[in-house]
Amino acid sequence: MSAPVRTLVAWCPDWPVVATGSPLNEPAAVIFANRVVAASLAARTLGVQRGLRRRAAQARCAELVIHDRDEAREARLFEPVVASLDDISPRVEVTRPGACAIVVRGPSRYFGGDAAVADLVRNRMGEVLEGRAEVKVGVADGPFAAALAARAADPVRLVEEGTAAEFLAPMRIGVLERPELSDVLIRLGVRTLGAFAALPVGDVLARFGAEGRGAHRLAAGLDERPPDARLPPADWSVAAEIDPPADRVDRVAFVARSLADELHRRLGKEGVTCVRVAIEAQTEHGEELIRLWRHEGALTDAAVADRVRWQLDGWLNGSAATRPSGGIARVALVPDELIPATGRQLGFWGGETEIDERAARVAARLQGQLGADAVMVPERRGGRHAHEQLTLVPSATVELRGRSLTSDPEAPPWPGALPTPSPTRVFRNPGSVDVHDAAGRPVTVDGRGRLSASPDCLMIDGKKQVVTAWAGPWPVDERWWDPGGHRRQARFQMIADDGVARLLALEGGRWWITAVWD
Amino acid sequence: MAAAESLPHIIDPAEALDDRKARLRLVADRVAPMALARERTLPVLPELVDLLPGGALRRGSVVGVNGMGGATSLALALAAGPSSAGSWTAIVGQPELGLVAAEEAGIALERLLVVSPEPSSWAGAVAALVGSVDVVLVAPRHRVAAGDARRLTARLRERGSVMIHTGGRWGPGADVQLDVAHSEWVGLGIGHGMLRSRRVTINGGGRGAAARPRSARLLLPGPTGAPASAG
Repeated sequence: MSAPVRTLVAWCPDWPVVATGSPLNEPAAVIFANRVVAASLAARTLGVQRGLRRRAAQARCAELVIHDRDEAREARLFEPVVASLDDISPRVEVTRPGACAIVVRGPSRYFGGDAAVADLVRNRMGEVLEGRAEVKVGVADGPFAAALAARAADPVRLVEEGTAAEFLAPMRIGVLERPELSDVLIRLGVRTLGAFAALPVGDVLARFGAEGRGAHRLAAGLDERPPDARLPPADWSVAAEIDPPADRVDRVAFVARSLADELHRRLGKEGVTCVRVAIEAQTEHGEELIRLWRHEGALTDAAVADRVRWQLDGWLNGSAATRPSGGIARVALVPDELIPATGRQLGFWGGETEIDERAARVAARLQGQLGADAVMVPERRGGRHAHEQLTLVPSATVELRGRSLTSDPEAPPWPGALPTPSPTRVFRNPGSVDVHDAAGRPVTVDGRGRLSASPDCLMIDGKKQVVTAWAGPWPVDERWWDPGGHRRQARFQMIADDGVARLLALEGGRWWITAVWD
Repeated sequence: MAAAESLPHIIDPAEALDDRKARLRLVADRVAPMALARERTLPVLPELVDLLPGGALRRGSVVGVNGMGGATSLALALAAGPSSAGSWTAIVGQPELGLVAAEEAGIALERLLVVSPEPSSWAGAVAALVGSVDVVLVAPRHRVAAGDARRLTARLRERGSVMIHTGGRWGPGADVQLDVAHSEWVGLGIGHGMLRSRRVTINGGGRGAAARPRSARLLLPGPTGAPASAG
């Protein structure tokens, strides 16, 4: 069995937070789909962890600054950092924004050892980052061990050649990042990579299938796939000329999408899928730009399109030193490492299904045509008012496939929330209305919540509607501790003689129609 | 025995091939996927079965919903059946629609898109949704051009989605038309109580199989927000 190729991984911890530009010593977190995906060191010391819900994170750290995830920005800011390594190795591979890998055998011979290369990489990246983020470097046999070495690094960790298995053995099984597999293994009492690697290969394959075997190989310090499982490289590259050459990313993004689709179709027909793709661009002045992107799973068409867009954005909006001198005239995608496509099993009940895929595609397409705020999906928040319990967020900020939005039965109630049935229309900009009593005087509510008189009629747009039934006032006194957010309302349900039931609110001496049942 | 074995040899090979192809075609006809009328429909909530021809939403059809008190509730209740059975729902041009009410009616919010296009791109957005999303709820505030409406109707038939429109600004009419003829709230008194449910009478009509008049009385919304039988 040949040893995995010696690899260096350079990793900037908390890159999503760094990319937002917030200082490292302030508590900040990046949220995607209502869950924390990254947190600054200051936030982590206060207990904000990955995977926490927004509210839970805010509960642990009240002054937490929350940013929405912007992967394009993360990738754009990472490009100059990666570009600083280009003369150490011509094939720098980006795993995700914030982490990149180099095959280190050649550079080590040239620069005089792994330690020398690691220091050089750290210095180069440190110069570009100017203290905005720290850099950790790990060198080991194979990208998996090297990535874990980078995580354990302080700030450099070299794992001697041939000792990857020993280095990995005490690690927790969770580092495989296969939650379902590690969940089962932990329940079986297999808690470390060493214990997993000690299991017989045949048994692992019989119980956990091909995916389990890949994980088993990683745990044993080998490559995920044996070298003979990789397919010989063939020319399945796709390319597009851009005429006139594009210097703005929105013009190239369209090409990126169609190229990714074409690559996906071509590979799909051959029954293969790629885990690493080279993105090549040529400018009108003949400059050649190339960058490798790797994905742990297989790269789907949407994932490839995203990466092409990020990469082109990084090149076109980079610093003056690295920016190409002209517009981009040609873009090519070269699938670099191919594996047989084992297919994705789409769920029958729940999970990922074909119809989810179709809906996600149309949402992405409409978002491109109409703008990000034109396609929204509901998300659960909390509150006493109908517009607060569920809000709309742009569909691009959540994963639509296999989404689950069931309400938490354990969640405590919101005292003062309105009873069911809820209104069918909730106005973001409520309309003003006058409410009069039988004598024609405006109806008011005093400081103790007492009504001046029974409401008799509504004046809506100058038209008089007689109130036939009503109930209230139901007072709400919210956020009295926050001068900016403090609200005091008295709410009423009223039915007028047009038969329409309305929710009215008296706030600051004025009446508003906030919702309607129609 | 020997004669039977030698028989294929005296037949011209091309002729044998044709013969085999013909037999294959017969088999293909027998096993070809057949679209049953039942499979070309989307289920609705049991309370609404009496209002629709065949007791379900026929794929590719346009359903119109009208009436002063209850049209939006009825549209949500119609979409709730397919949505709870696994379909995606899109709400076009109604950003103020009550999401809590939609959930109470039975719509699965994890399979809901809320799209707000400008009037100029309205037809294009609806056309894109048709075919990708099973149920499209529309309430155009502008007049839909006759050509756009015709193209959308044709696309619905071809792609098998259902469009439910409220507000009556849809030129070519609907395959199934449901009107809330009478509605009355229960539970709210004068200075006391709260809105609990609404008794409605819904009249149905339409074209073709839906032309026979139908009528149903139910609670819309019922005490939990979902439609309930009036019994």
